[in-house]
Amino acid sequence: MTTSERADPSRSVVLETAVRLVFHTVLVFGVYLLFAGHNQPGGGFVGGLVAGCAFVLRYAVTGREGIGRAVPVDPVLPLGAGLLLAGVTGAAAWLLDGQFLESGKVELDLPVLGVVKATSALPFDTGVFLVVVGLVLLVLRTLGAEAEQ
Amino acid sequence: MLALLALHLGLALAVPFAAPRLGPRVFLLAAAAPAATAGWAATRAGDVLDGRPVTSSTAWVPGLGLTLDLRLDPLGLLMVTLVSGVGTLVFLYCAGYFSAGQRGLGRFAGVLTGFSGAMLGLVLADDLLLLYVFWELTSVTSWLLIGFDDESPQSRRAAQQALLVTTLGGLVMLLGLLLLAQEAGTASLSGILADPPRGPTVAIALVLVLVGAFTKSAQVPFHPWLPAAMAAPTPVSAYLHAAAMVKAGVYLVARLAPAFAVVAPWRPLVLTVGLATMLVGGWRALRQSDLKRLLAFGTVSQLGFLMVLLGAGTPEAALAGATLLLAHGLFKSTLFLAVGVIDHETGTRDLRELSGLGRRLPVLAAVATLAALSMAGVPPLLGFVAKEAAYEAFLHGGPGGAVVFAGLFLGSVLTAAYSARFVWGAFASKPSCVATPAHTPSPGFVAPVVVLGASGLVLGLLPGLADPLVQAYAASYPLEAGRELEHLALWHGLTAALGWSALTLAAGAGLFLLREPVRRGQRGASRVLSAVDADRAYDLSLSWLDRAAQRSTAVVQSGSLPVYLGTVLLTLVVLTGGALVGGTSISGDLQLWDRPLQAVVAVVVAAAAVATARAHRRFTAVLLVGAVGYGVAVLFVLQGGPDLALTQFLVETLTLVLFVFVLRRLPSSFPRSTPRRSQLVRAGVATAVGAVVAAGVLVAGQARTAPPASQDYLDRALPEGGGSNVVNVVLVDFRGFDTLGEITVLVVAALGIATLVPAGRRRPQEQSR
Amino acid sequence: MTGNLTLALLIGVLYGVGTYLLLQRTLTRVVIGLGLMSHGANLLLLAAGGSAGAVPFAGSTDGGAGAGTADPLPQAMVLTAIVITFGVTAFLLALAFRSWLLTGEDAVQDDVEDRRIAALEPEEHPHAARPEDEA
Repeated sequence: MTTSERADPSRSVVLETAVRLVFHTVLVFGVYLLFAGHNQPGGGFVGGLVAGCAFVLRYAVTGREGIGRAVPVDPVLPLGAGLLLAGVTGAAAWLLDGQFLESGKVELDLPVLGVVKATSALPFDTGVFLVVVGLVLLVLRTLGAEAEQ
Repeated sequence: MLALLALHLGLALAVPFAAPRLGPRVFLLAAAAPAATAGWAATRAGDVLDGRPVTSSTAWVPGLGLTLDLRLDPLGLLMVTLVSGVGTLVFLYCAGYFSAGQRGLGRFAGVLTGFSGAMLGLVLADDLLLLYVFWELTSVTSWLLIGFDDESPQSRRAAQQALLVTTLGGLVMLLGLLLLAQEAGTASLSGILADPPRGPTVAIALVLVLVGAFTKSAQVPFHPWLPAAMAAPTPVSAYLHAAAMVKAGVYLVARLAPAFAVVAPWRPLVLTVGLATMLVGGWRALRQSDLKRLLAFGTVSQLGFLMVLLGAGTPEAALAGATLLLAHGLFKSTLFLAVGVIDHETGTRDLRELSGLGRRLPVLAAVATLAALSMAGVPPLLGFVAKEAAYEAFLHGGPGGAVVFAGLFLGSVLTAAYSARFVWGAFASKPSCVATPAHTPSPGFVAPVVVLGASGLVLGLLPGLADPLVQAYAASYPLEAGRELEHLALWHGLTAALGWSALTLAAGAGLFLLREPVRRGQRGASRVLSAVDADRAYDLSLSWLDRAAQRSTAVVQSGSLPVYLGTVLLTLVVLTGGALVGGTSISGDLQLWDRPLQAVVAVVVAAAAVATARAHRRFTAVLLVGAVGYGVAVLFVLQGGPDLALTQFLVETLTLVLFVFVLRRLPSSFPRSTPRRSQLVRAGVATAVGAVVAAGVLVAGQARTAPPASQDYLDRALPEGGGSNVVNVVLVDFRGFDTLGEITVLVVAALGIATLVPAGRRRPQEQSR
Repeated sequence: MTGNLTLALLIGVLYGVGTYLLLQRTLTRVVIGLGLMSHGANLLLLAAGGSAGAVPFAGSTDGGAGAGTADPLPQAMVLTAIVITFGVTAFLLALAFRSWLLTGEDAVQDDVEDRRIAALEPEEHPHAARPEDEA
């Protein structure tokens, strides 16, 4: 944090600290919703929105630069990567002689974790997650930053 | 046959590239296509005339049942003689007509070859849709050829007129052809003719098809495009607008008449239009001073004559019609090509300026005179043989009886008169003007004209040569047992037809000799008749179309967003509301609510929504909309959708943030609203939409007849999708494709935002600060 | 199937108010109207899917697909619809913002080009190129 930011009188130290504490928790909760979504309420859309909210909180106290430090990538990157991931997951079914987006299931017997079930829905949902997060980030970077001027 | 069409296409594509090197000799190369066709047709003629048509069938679009069905029968053979036989000579003539430096020569040669192929396809097609495709191809090539001199406004107008009139007719015809194919259950031309359908729909279809044929063959009132098309180079006039393309309409009539002439509207329509065309064309031809326009109106007249003969639907008339078809193709292209030579060697084709050419160009004069005599119906030429047969067909109670015969007689008198006027105008020595200087044309330039002109004489002297061909076509009409068609002959004895022929020639000669009084009379009459000028009607309808387009654009495209949206929404109200009022009733049981809490939340949400509309400050409105959103989230919970509620809650929060970003920059209050009256209109539309949607919800809920698809989803989610949250499984698995589409929409929206509000736009200022 | 009068009326109100705002010239109000209409549409989808019921989890009710379970298919549709509405709202607000940047207000003006076309005088078709007969 630069000195100029610290000198801003409109900043609330309490709020800033609280958001710092909460930020990672909310982010992790979003990711949790993504993974849990297949069996419980949640999923890529919801998870992405929760994660997005984490960034909004952060933006609310630190402004655009705070977001820039937390996610040092262009928001277009998660947007593109998400779409690509979802598409590739769908196309991967072709390699396994399935139809586009046909879901596959793998059961792995891992040494420590025991039997782990994984479905092709997870990478697809992760793509959705990334797109939603990217959209929120982009809105913060553009409209948020513009409005700051 | 397909190979011949391919040859045309290939040469059409190739000659433009050869033109820069070969110059006008490129036409000799292009002539290979029609020449090969004519040669091929000659070898098949024996089979065809013996009643064994040549056919070929190639799959084209199997999925749509489209095939390239081609068929060469006697009528087809007759047309191929004109298309490829006359065509070959026209190509050879072109080599002498154009100079080496001619602009656009390659394009012209290519399009002309393409036309030749399209016309060949048109007369060989045995499938209605295939016929239509070739039909329009000839219209398009004709447009390109008429507009060859693209720097002259007159050619551009003529080309546009020809294109508009013929393609409009073509579209009408397409409708008719489709109806016909549907009624017959097949698009095969020979199939339809073998077993013609009947009924009121067929009658409508035939009228539509006839409109197409009338436009293509320049029948009244569609005829003005043909004289205007004389803006094209003369070979085009000779080939497209005398021998081949304008015969397409006549050809179609000749093709359909044996099967459909008995259907009610056919005969009155064809005979009326044909006779009117014959008389109008002859009358106008007599007034022209431009030799080409004289011939063009003559062609209009002769096309009307052909329409009467080939559309009348009797074997005798058909025999005469087929003979005239051949004769006209020969003499009219001869005359056009002769005018082309005159134009080429003297630089004018105005008969008031030409004088003494008969002495200067004796061969040409002789050939052209032969052709003109054939046109007038003077023995011993083919035109005479044809006219004799025509008189014979209508003297003894043909369809239309004496009225039609009188019309044909009058038209023939006019024909004889303008034939004389042509010969006099082109070649006579006139005391009023000096002899026109002329170059001597090269023998190769005149040779095709001589061949064409002489063939009319040969066939006239030996009508037996053409007889099998026209007899074979006339045989497509059923003939009562024991009756036999007369053969073509120069001398049938002292018949009534011969007497009428003699009378025709005498009256025609009289009209020509009295040309000064006739001219004055015509001028007086034209002042009266100018009110019904078809060419002016064309111009008027074009400008009317322009104005109508402009007015409707002004109304339909008002540029106001509320008007556009209001139109869309009112359409929803009218269509959905109409369907609701018209055909449904709420029959199942209605309940007030699923749970009482639903009603409480709903009241709150509704109140917040209404307050939103009344809010004056932007921020108030946004907060109220947020309240609506959270309320809806609660409703989702009550409905049994926790995922939805969660999503709605989060999105509502993010949307609020979003609004705050933007509203920070905008004025705090909404601008003063528009007048009260327009607000009332909006409220009216809004109420109607709300009412229709509410009623629609109730009806739609009752309308389900099949079990929900999701029953299946509930059972399959765990075993197949591997998840117990069915909504999520639906999203990422069962309907994953939809979800992929939806995140694509999100990405597109994001890209839109990024372009509209570039984040880095103000950074340079920041750094400088 | 039973119809739910409360939901039907609420949907009608949301559509009505949404339409009213949609027909305004201020872009912010248009966006708000669109949002209200989307809420209405989402509820409509749910209402068309049937009555309220238990959360659609496989295995949560006895025998899986019980009659008391809410229909999951409209829920899935609505879920994506909500997120897409968010995307569209963001886009429209960006548009309103841009409009403000350029013109200083967020009102939708009539299309200038369209008004110009509407005001055009009909022009006469040229007859000059028409060939005439010998006089």
